[in-house]
Amino acid sequence: MKGLFPLFIGLFGTFTFSWIGLTVVPNLQIGALSPQADEEGTDIYPMPQSGMVDRGRRVYVANGCVYCHSQQVRPDYDSADIDRKWGQRRSAPRDYVFDRPVQLGKERMGPDLSNIGKRGSAEEEKSPAPGGSPAASPAQSATANANASPPSSAPQQAAASPTQTAAAAASPSPAASATPNPSGEPAMYSEAWHHKHLYAPRSMGPDTEDSNMPAYQFLYEKRRTSGEASADALHLTGADAPPAGWEIVPTYDAKCLVAYLMSRDQSHGLKEVKGAAAPAGSPAASPAAGGAAAVSPPAAQPPKK
Amino acid sequence: MTPAADIPLKQPAISAAAGEAEQYERALIDASTRVPVLMFYASAMVWLLIGTLLAGFVSFKLHSPDWLSNVDFLTWGRLRPVHMNIMVYGWASMAGMGTAIWLMARLCRTTLRHPLLLVTGAWFWNIGIAIGVTAILMGYSTGYQWLEFPPYAALILLLAYALIMSWAVLMFRFRRGEQIYITQWYLLGAFLWFPWLYAAAQAMLFVVPVQGVMQAAVGWWYANNLMFLWLGAIGLGTAYYMIPKVIGRPVYSYHLATIGFWTYALFSSWTGMQRLVDGPFPAWMITASIAATILTMIPVATVGLNHHMTMQGYFPVMRYSPTLRFTVFGAMAYTVFSIVGLLISLRSTARYFHFTEASVAYTHLGLYAFFTMIMFGSMYYIVPRLVGREWRYATLIKLHFWASAYGIGLMSVMLFVGGLTQGASQNDPSLPFIESVQSALPYLRGRTLAALLLTASHFIFAYHFGLMLFGLGRTSTVPTFLNPVEAEGSEGHL
Repeated sequence: MKGLFPLFIGLFGTFTFSWIGLTVVPNLQIGALSPQADEEGTDIYPMPQSGMVDRGRRVYVANGCVYCHSQQVRPDYDSADIDRKWGQRRSAPRDYVFDRPVQLGKERMGPDLSNIGKRGSAEEEKSPAPGGSPAASPAQSATANANASPPSSAPQQAAASPTQTAAAAASPSPAASATPNPSGEPAMYSEAWHHKHLYAPRSMGPDTEDSNMPAYQFLYEKRRTSGEASADALHLTGADAPPAGWEIVPTYDAKCLVAYLMSRDQSHGLKEVKGAAAPAGSPAASPAAGGAAAVSPPAAQPPKK
Repeated sequence: MTPAADIPLKQPAISAAAGEAEQYERALIDASTRVPVLMFYASAMVWLLIGTLLAGFVSFKLHSPDWLSNVDFLTWGRLRPVHMNIMVYGWASMAGMGTAIWLMARLCRTTLRHPLLLVTGAWFWNIGIAIGVTAILMGYSTGYQWLEFPPYAALILLLAYALIMSWAVLMFRFRRGEQIYITQWYLLGAFLWFPWLYAAAQAMLFVVPVQGVMQAAVGWWYANNLMFLWLGAIGLGTAYYMIPKVIGRPVYSYHLATIGFWTYALFSSWTGMQRLVDGPFPAWMITASIAATILTMIPVATVGLNHHMTMQGYFPVMRYSPTLRFTVFGAMAYTVFSIVGLLISLRSTARYFHFTEASVAYTHLGLYAFFTMIMFGSMYYIVPRLVGREWRYATLIKLHFWASAYGIGLMSVMLFVGGLTQGASQNDPSLPFIESVQSALPYLRGRTLAALLLTASHFIFAYHFGLMLFGLGRTSTVPTFLNPVEAEGSEGHL
């Protein structure tokens, strides 16, 4: 090869070709998506997220959760993601328009988290909290809300913070709150569950004993109880439990992280994606189908507004 | 070792005819590159050792998660990107720049001008990495893989790079002779592609940020091209210099090399999206990258064939020359790396490898088995010419080679097979997810063993390099051979 000029043109050309082809052209196609809305301009999805969720994303990023947890559901013809109930439909570009930095992930040393917030309320629907008194189950309706439980009524059990609005652990009946319930495990994927799981990942039952997730105890604070335990203190048992007179409470960062996890929800239908959660016409997505909970759990999730 | 002087392992036969003037000129060129190249190599060695220790931590913590997990900056999710960035920007890029600058000066047959500016650039590069690493440890990672450094650290790196590489590119202006060698195509490509690539990625992620999933597309486009257009180009360029140089024989085919280079530039730059197979993207993007990955078999085949034909009949020289042994290992690993890349990219096979440790195996095949081994080889060749001493202990070089070769071999096999079992369990929805983690754990423990081997290899090399740096190498006119050269057995084919 003679001469620098042709070489330079070739180098520049190949680079520009790939740059335009793989970033500029796709950006024209999917780089300026708007949230979708129905005809009346309501039912907007996705929605921008609150300050706590945004800060929670920073915590998620800072601690490198993405290196083990993906946030993308693949279609059912090519993967078991949907069979694993990680989502009802495949993920689409529109699901991520407000995600920055986007955390799609490339490895699954842990389960996919695209719908972890949604799965929380689904699990709650499915089964009464283990160990909870029968009186507690009516409180686990789809409308149950952490805001409904004032701190004083849940001294030992509910770790949900009053500031968090997503559906959370069941509000205990007065009988349950009167006596500390040693086996009062929080409902799967509820806020209380996430806090306990983050603090002691191997303490969440037989399925988690072999988990290789690190504990994030630095996101929690150990402090002396002054009189009654705090409402958001973690309900820990066994080796993880703090000594008497002490309690473990989430820091603000931990609350944000859990708020972020609870915000992960791609269950809303998208026009461009065919699947179980089609936006209209599909009984699965309509609230009336709530009664089918026991039969087909994935279809039982009421739409979250 | 006496008859070694007769065997032209170090200087190819043509240099004997070239005469003393050429030898003198070469010595001058080498002298002009001494300080900056050694600066790059020494920095790279320090980063290599830090990165290796971190790799051990990261590997160990993955199967023993409670170890040192109570401090925020020691959590796995922070140490892992720190290890990765130190290896890519600290070790690989700095070693690559050192080798590339030296090769460029040699091939342009011109002295390196303003070497002290390059040293300044190297310092700024180090500072940029240190700032970026500190930021990740403090929790300020950007969250984009391979681009975790915050933009301010990236800016320092870009400025440092401008300070370094403008002089390397300027050597072209002062080059003597019209011919541009094969190695120079690759090196000039790497020199220019890296800043374009880095600046484009930074601009699209932080200056004029793209929306949603396009961030991931830009991230993968960058990460793959960093591997191919920056590190890979330096690695292949170095192999094209070292193999013919050590055996004293020209490259087999110039035309094959041309085809190999341009197809490499064209096709490998289009890969990347296949790592997002079935993700939330238009299918054509992923298909385009899969097609490009298949097409990269063309440069793999041409480059591999070219190297093989050049080496034909000279393979026994690997018994003696450390440079050749490392370089040929790396050149062969390039083929393995590309085939594994193809395997984890095709839609039919990707479902067993996607989201598993196999992608880590692929990255290590590229960054270590291919690139790092070639860099080790080039350092064994270049450092003696800079310090005027020969490597002191053949045994240490042999230990270094075998610990590295077995280490990376074990690691790749463990991660690849572990990834396969992990993927098979992930694909079976009747198994709980935790099964897939459990099935990979034994392999992850095996990987920690491999990390120990690599740690040993790197500390051996660092010690040997330190001896050279402090002038404790052998004073001799004969390079250090791995094995004593038997006069009769080897002379036949040399």
